[in-house]
Parts: sequence; structure tokens; C-alpha cells
Amino acid sequence: MLLITGCGAAADAPATPTPAGVARSATPTATPAPTPSATGAPTGPAASGVPLTDASLGAHPAEPVVQPARVQVPSLGIDVTVSPEGVDATGALALSDDPAIASWYRYGPTPWSTAGTAVIAAHVDSFDYGVGQFALLLDAPVGTEIVTTSVDGRVARFSVQEVSMIDKTGVDWNAVFDRSGPHRLALITCGGEFNYDTGHYLSNVIVTAVPIA
Amino acid sequence: MRKTLIAGIAAGAFIAAAAALPASAAEGDAQLSVLHAVPGVTVDVYVNGALTLDDFTPGTLAGPLPLPAGTYSVAITASDAADASAPVIGPVDLPLAANGNYTAVAHLDASGNPTATLFTNDTATLAAGEGRLTVRHVAAAPAVDVLAGGSPVITNLANPGESVLTLPAGTVSASVAATGTTDPVIGPADVDVAEGTNTIVYAWGSLADGNLALAVQTIGGLHSNPGGVPAGNAGLVATNQPGDSTGLLVGGALALLLAALAITAVRSRALAKVER
Repeated sequence: MLLITGCGAAADAPATPTPAGVARSATPTATPAPTPSATGAPTGPAASGVPLTDASLGAHPAEPVVQPARVQVPSLGIDVTVSPEGVDATGALALSDDPAIASWYRYGPTPWSTAGTAVIAAHVDSFDYGVGQFALLLDAPVGTEIVTTSVDGRVARFSVQEVSMIDKTGVDWNAVFDRSGPHRLALITCGGEFNYDTGHYLSNVIVTAVPIA
Repeated sequence: MRKTLIAGIAAGAFIAAAAALPASAAEGDAQLSVLHAVPGVTVDVYVNGALTLDDFTPGTLAGPLPLPAGTYSVAITASDAADASAPVIGPVDLPLAANGNYTAVAHLDASGNPTATLFTNDTATLAAGEGRLTVRHVAAAPAVDVLAGGSPVITNLANPGESVLTLPAGTVSASVAATGTTDPVIGPADVDVAEGTNTIVYAWGSLADGNLALAVQTIGGLHSNPGGVPAGNAGLVATNQPGDSTGLLVGGALALLLAALAITAVRSRALAKVER
């Protein structure tokens, strides 16, 4: 049994911080003092603070997700389409073979979210398609503008804060795919040395960008 | 007869909250939600003798509330009761373990009598891309099958039982039928099985009274993340050359050696020619 902790905690702890340990004093308080006249509408303070929701099916439809459709880095000439994707059979982010089609992790934040990191990744190269546009990300200077456009035409702009090349065995993916921290955009591809036996790069190039107000 | 009983009765919930207990979120607290699933009656809920939920209506979910581990006494009264001395359900003891996640449901048993059940909610972490679907039978109805897209995915679920499925995240077209049949008594209805979330669906109400319905509770934040981003497979922008690769070092060296030998051989022949 796991308690919801870490990055999932935000939704569960609207918490009014109270010193721990005082809570068990469960002796009935004098509050609900029954007034003889109050037949139908006792107005105790009791119910205050208890969240009440309509549990009917369909009472709380999921908010429509604003899906990104395109990512551009004008100064680098990058312009790729974006497809919403989940994970592949190995549990990694599912990616198109075509480096011109980037994957947005559809279960995480979007570029229009208010918190967490929207992750968009594309192949750096492919035998069939050659070198991909995301190969250019490695040289993106801090401050480079990234423009994302949604399926319905909304635009969100970000500014490159950091470009890092990290050995794949050392990437903290839970931090990369964070859903609750400050709002960020991460563009990810591969780079560095290549293992010609396994056909994989040894490192990821991770571009972290912050929203432009 | 039964209707009179129910009307005078009441359902409700058990929440140890507000007035009764401070809503602190301390380490190790249990989480308790309460679902009112008795049709047609508004109730009051007393926890440890204190009025905690006032005028609690059917189909309403209260909570979750963080509560220190322990056993809580819950009594459910008619909404016009002056105190907890004449409960229509309970008083019942709810034992809550540290870090446990619970939903107490006031509902009808299979034959239509008000009762209460404490369910433990599965909050184990899910794999990336998956959602959990929990189905609970708290209706005055015989055992049922749950059909997804017309095929039974849960069979012979009886009040007050539950069944838990792990599914790829997405929308399930669900219906409920008497066990062994496919003619829906509820639905079909679209249920959103969200990624990283335990979506708990309650079949409640009364078959005889024709008010069977679905109620939904969700517990999010159970997700995990992709384990990598394998974003290249041709080595076209590699910072190393094939010969540099550890894995191909032997083969590369061998190739170079063979090439060197071949050149030497040609040279030798050339030299031999000259000498002739």
C-alpha cells in the first residue's frame, strides 16, 4: 500500500497545516448542541471543511486537453509536427521513426498547462530519414525562443534555459516528466557517443525551456 | 413497506471530520472518503458523537479527509434527528490503518436494507500509460456482470463486493447486466479510465425501484513515468566513429589489420615486380 507522495501529492493535500499529533483528541465537542427548535436545518459548523462533490457519472468531465501540434525553433530552422504518444512496449516514450514527427507525452502536462513539464521528443536521426532537425538543439543558446502551436491554433512560447547532454543511465526521468512543479517545456533527443552494436546513443540531449510571459 | 423503511431510515456516510476532528494532514494519516448511496433520503452523519456531515444527500461523495489511524465510531441518522442517539445505520466502527485510503459507503444491501461498507482503495503506483478501474456493487440487486464494449470483463460481482482491473488509459463503454446475461440494467455509459488514476465506479440504487445508477470516485497521482527516450538509431551525429566504439573495437582493429596486410601484400608484389 502506497501513500500518494512525491509529485502526486499536490492533488491530495489541500492541507490546512496543523501540528501533527493533535488530531486524535476525538472527544465529542460541544458544537452540535441540538437546539430543540431546529428540526429540519441544523446549522452546525460541522460540515464546513468537508469537501463535497457530486459523484454522478459524468458530473466532472475531464477538462479538454490542449494538444500540441507543432514545435518551431525559428532561429535554428526547426519546424516539426507533434503527435500525442504514450509509452512503447519497453515503457519508454513512444517515438515515430520519422525525426520530423515529434512525440508529446500525452499523459503529462501540455505547453498550455500551468504546472509541470511538457515533454516533446524526436529522433536525432534515422536510417530511413537521415539526420533529424532536433540534432540542432544541442547548439541552442540560452534564450533561444521555442514556439509551440496547439491543434486548435493556440500558441505558447518558451525560452531556452538550459541545454544538457546526460548519460542515459543518469537521467532522472521522474524529474524530467514532472507533473506538478514549475511549468516547463522539455525538448529531448539523443546525442553523444553511439553504441554501434546496440544501435543506441549513450546520452540524451535535454533542452529545458521556461514560459515567455 | 420497504420504501417506508428506507425513507425513515437514512443513509449517509461516515466521516470523521471538521467538528469532530481537526483536518490535519499529518504523516501516516489515513484518507477517508464517504459516499452516500442510499436513494431518496437525506441524512446526518455523526462521528464519535459529533455531527460531521449535515444534510448529506444521495449521490454525494464527501472527502477525502486525512485522519490519524484509529477506530472511528460512525452513526447515521435521519436529517431531522437532534442527535446520534437513534441512528438508522450504525453506530459502526471504522478501523483506519496508517496511510490507508478508504471509502465508507452507506448503501442498500442486496435485498434493499440500508447498510454500510468500508472499502479499502488501491493506491499502488500504476505503470506509465495505465489506469485502474475498480467496480463496486452496492445496489439492491442480484450479482452482476460488468461488460466493456459488450464483452464481460467482470463476472458474478455481488453486493457488497468489488473487482479491480488494470487497463490502458482510455474511455471504456461499460454496462452492467445480471450475471450471465448481456442485457444492461445500467448503461452502456462511457467511463473515463484516466492514466495514473484509480477510477472507482459504484453501481448503486435499487433494481426493484428502477433507480440503479453509477457513481464515480477518482484517486489520482498514482502514475509513473516513461523510463527513457530512445531518440536515435543511426549514429549519424555520433561524437564517436564506429572504430571508437568499445563494442566494435576488436572488429575494427581486425579490419584495419587486414587492410594493412592487404596493402603490404600488394606492395610486396609490386616490389617483387620491380626487382625482377
